Amino acid sequence: MKLKKLISVMAACMLSAAVFTGCGESVPENTVHSLDDLPGKTIGVQLGTTGDIFATDIEGATVERYNKGADAVQALKQGKVDAVLIDNEPAKVFVSNNEELMILDEPFAVEEYAIAIKKGNDELTEKINTALGELKNDGTLDNIRKNWIGDEAGNYPYTSPEGTDRSNGTLVMATNPEFPPYESMSGDAVVGFDADMMQAVCDRMGMELIIESMSFDSIITAVDSGKADVGVAGMTVTPERQENVNFSDSYTTATQVIIVRK
Amino acid sequence: MQDLLDTLYNTFIVDDRWKFLTTGLGNTLLITFFSLLMGMVLGFIVAIVRATYDKTGKLKILNFLFKIYLTVIRGTPVVVQLLIIYFVVFGSVNIDKLFVAVLAFGLNSGAYVAEIVRSGIMSIEKGQFEAGSSLGFSYAQTMIYIILPQAFKNVLPALANEAIVLLKETSVAGYIAVNDLTKGGDYIRSVTYQAFLPLICVAIIYLIMVMIMTWLVTKLERRLAKNDKG
Repeated sequence: MKLKKLISVMAACMLSAAVFTGCGESVPENTVHSLDDLPGKTIGVQLGTTGDIFATDIEGATVERYNKGADAVQALKQGKVDAVLIDNEPAKVFVSNNEELMILDEPFAVEEYAIAIKKGNDELTEKINTALGELKNDGTLDNIRKNWIGDEAGNYPYTSPEGTDRSNGTLVMATNPEFPPYESMSGDAVVGFDADMMQAVCDRMGMELIIESMSFDSIITAVDSGKADVGVAGMTVTPERQENVNFSDSYTTATQVIIVRK
Repeated sequence: MQDLLDTLYNTFIVDDRWKFLTTGLGNTLLITFFSLLMGMVLGFIVAIVRATYDKTGKLKILNFLFKIYLTVIRGTPVVVQLLIIYFVVFGSVNIDKLFVAVLAFGLNSGAYVAEIVRSGIMSIEKGQFEAGSSLGFSYAQTMIYIILPQAFKNVLPALANEAIVLLKETSVAGYIAVNDLTKGGDYIRSVTYQAFLPLICVAIIYLIMVMIMTWLVTKLERRLAKNDKG
């Protein structure tokens, strides 16, 4: 009986030892120093993003598609992938929260962000474009951008004008609030550049804004099937997406960047 | 009609997108097979130890450890277990993700198999143990030659059910970027922005796999039932 106890205890010790050997080993050295280093490497992306599209086109690279950008960044930190392709502003947020990561000095694609609207709903597209045009002209859009991006962040909070009329119904916006500073969760509210911009657009159109959170790769399907009126999620205009939804005029530009370990 | 053909072409043919489904299917089968194997082995060991403790009071410490294992595994969602194994346990090691998935689902399934098998062993009446001892069998011999074969037959439908649940549960492997069948469908959905075909196609493939499994188990059950009639 004593022997059996001893064996059990030893087995337990070995099991816990096996569990913890994983921790503490060092993460491999960074091997990606420029865009040209990417072929043949393992690249982490968020499923369905433009980073995914670019990574898929890189010769010989293995693309790891995570459900969240943050998971891809986590995998990069732990040495499970060699680089992460993602839009520049979220990249800055991720890197500022993780000392061991850095952004390569080589943005490689300038893209236009726009609002996705159900294919064929030209009336809503037109209305949103008019509202966007007004917001661009009177500087509201610039202020919203400055409030979320750049050195003066936080200095230009957007508030709806007093006595805004909301008699024209509701507008449901689908987004993926894991993409700071464009959208992220603060408490149980979705905040960010996109949320403020759409609030401003809705104020102009006299509509009530309702924000629905979902995974990024579901947004276009949600807009397409009428579960949401618009999709706003730092969404780049691509030809393939244009086949399935209408896009408004672009409201800002962004670049793709490469995050690597230092 | 032209529309449907276009969508079909877009969903499966362009850029060889069907390959995402076939590699996904391969990975799903691989994960299911090995985690099923691991779950069965683990489950039987745990069940035998737990039943032995229940019946004889021996193996106290092992029983205690296995009880903790059962509580932890059955008390937490499999997605969380998968993420913990990937990001915490193997935090700083670049480990094969398929291995992580097999480990996570195997550990998970083992806990359920253990309780299923234990209930099977406990359902065999005491007289069978006594019959074993009166024939001069040791406890281990009684277990292997008399109890387990009967218990296995009793719990076979429940085990088959567990295997089916496991197959479908592997669909969350995509959380750690494993290219399983569900992830393959998700990828196609993310590039074509068409929900219908990829989702329905993935669902049908799972359904066919489950139907094949059910058919195999029915055959096995019939085969085992034949022995009863003698």
